[in-house]
Amino acid sequence: MLTISVFNILFTVINLLILLFFVKKFLFDKIDAIITKRQQEVDEATEAADKATQEAKAAKKEYEKKIALADEEKEQILSDIKKLGYEEYEKIVMDARKTGDKIVKEARQNARAEAEKERELHADELKDMVIDAAAKIAATKHSSEDDSMLYDKFINEARANNG
Amino acid sequence: MSLTAIGAAIAAFTGIGAGIGISLATAKATDAVARQPEADGKIMRLLILGCALAEATAIYGFVVAIMIILFS
Amino acid sequence: MKEMLNELLMADKTLIHVPFGNGFFDIYKSVVVSWIVLAVLITLILVLTSNLKVHNISKRQAAVEASVLWIRKVVGELLGEEAMAYCPYIVTVLIFIAFSNMIGLFGLVPPTMDLNVTLALSLMSIVLVELAGIIKKGPKKWLKSFTEPMAVITFMNVLELFIRPLSLCMRLFGNILGATVIMELIKHVVPIVLPAALSIYFDIFDGCIQAYVFCFLTSLYIKEAVE
Repeated sequence: MLTISVFNILFTVINLLILLFFVKKFLFDKIDAIITKRQQEVDEATEAADKATQEAKAAKKEYEKKIALADEEKEQILSDIKKLGYEEYEKIVMDARKTGDKIVKEARQNARAEAEKERELHADELKDMVIDAAAKIAATKHSSEDDSMLYDKFINEARANNG
Repeated sequence: MSLTAIGAAIAAFTGIGAGIGISLATAKATDAVARQPEADGKIMRLLILGCALAEATAIYGFVVAIMIILFS
Repeated sequence: MKEMLNELLMADKTLIHVPFGNGFFDIYKSVVVSWIVLAVLITLILVLTSNLKVHNISKRQAAVEASVLWIRKVVGELLGEEAMAYCPYIVTVLIFIAFSNMIGLFGLVPPTMDLNVTLALSLMSIVLVELAGIIKKGPKKWLKSFTEPMAVITFMNVLELFIRPLSLCMRLFGNILGATVIMELIKHVVPIVLPAALSIYFDIFDGCIQAYVFCFLTSLYIKEAVE
């Protein structure tokens, strides 16, 4: 049971070394190679996916920037247009006011001139009438009764004319 | 024959020590796992190490007992 | 009783007798059985790792990959990061001892029941442990490490060089021998049913535990040596 044989110990050692060689070369190295290869592929795929995601993100950012820019531009244009419109409106209103003022002024002036003319005409008529009456009085010698009648007539005529 | 049998029986008493050792180790390991269930892997390894070392004494006793029987 | 033990333990281990050298070159039964174990293992490895693919792997390949990664993880946990280079050796010893212990299931005598095989295993282990220390620390520092932590303890450290392999060797040998002896005794008493149930414990469970313990202790020593 307890006999020790160096030769057999040596044989066992050799056996183990052979097994070690097979385990290392044919089991571990082979499996390792396969797993490393697969890991590499996975890494590559992951990298590509990361890259694509980044690109997409960059593109999205750019578009957002562009959209923001367009918005700004739109605002600018709108405000410009509004400003322009306001100015135009102001101008038109101003013009209208000015024209209205002018018309009113003219109308006033015209009215005044007309009134003046009318008054003058009236005065002329009155003058004529007075002259006429004076002439009539001067031409005919009348009684004081006649005279007062004439005055009344004249006054009545003038009132009718004036009224 | 009678004396060799007694000798072998005395050698087999090593089993007592191994039994006490292993039972103590197992009790403590159970305690430790109950207290820290997340460390059960490490505790298990240490338990196996301790059991192997404690058991070795019993094995030595066994080998000695067999030798006594065979070579008397 | 004694006759049975005699028959079991004192039987002539020589299987192939070489006529010259006065029995020095005789090849024992255990070596021949370990050749069988070796042949089975190598065939298994070659068959399992043939036709490996990167994509569209078969179930067999998936199982092989998973088990290789698993066993490497288990051994890696024992060895630690620094001594990972010794993983193939530990795995080799593990599967060799496990298969050798389990070969009792097929009616053969386990090679680990022979002192020569366990002695060879433990000698290799201790040589590897010391080599790991020398490679890691260099010869001078390795020699110096015997005087640590104190000079007084040097004798104990040197003694440990012999105790370690002896304890490794005797533990494995004794366990397998004990299991076999108990199995033989039980077969004598109850020839049916019970031996089959117990052989599951003794041949499979105990065999695997002993293989694990052997590798565990070896890797512990290696880890200690490279620290």
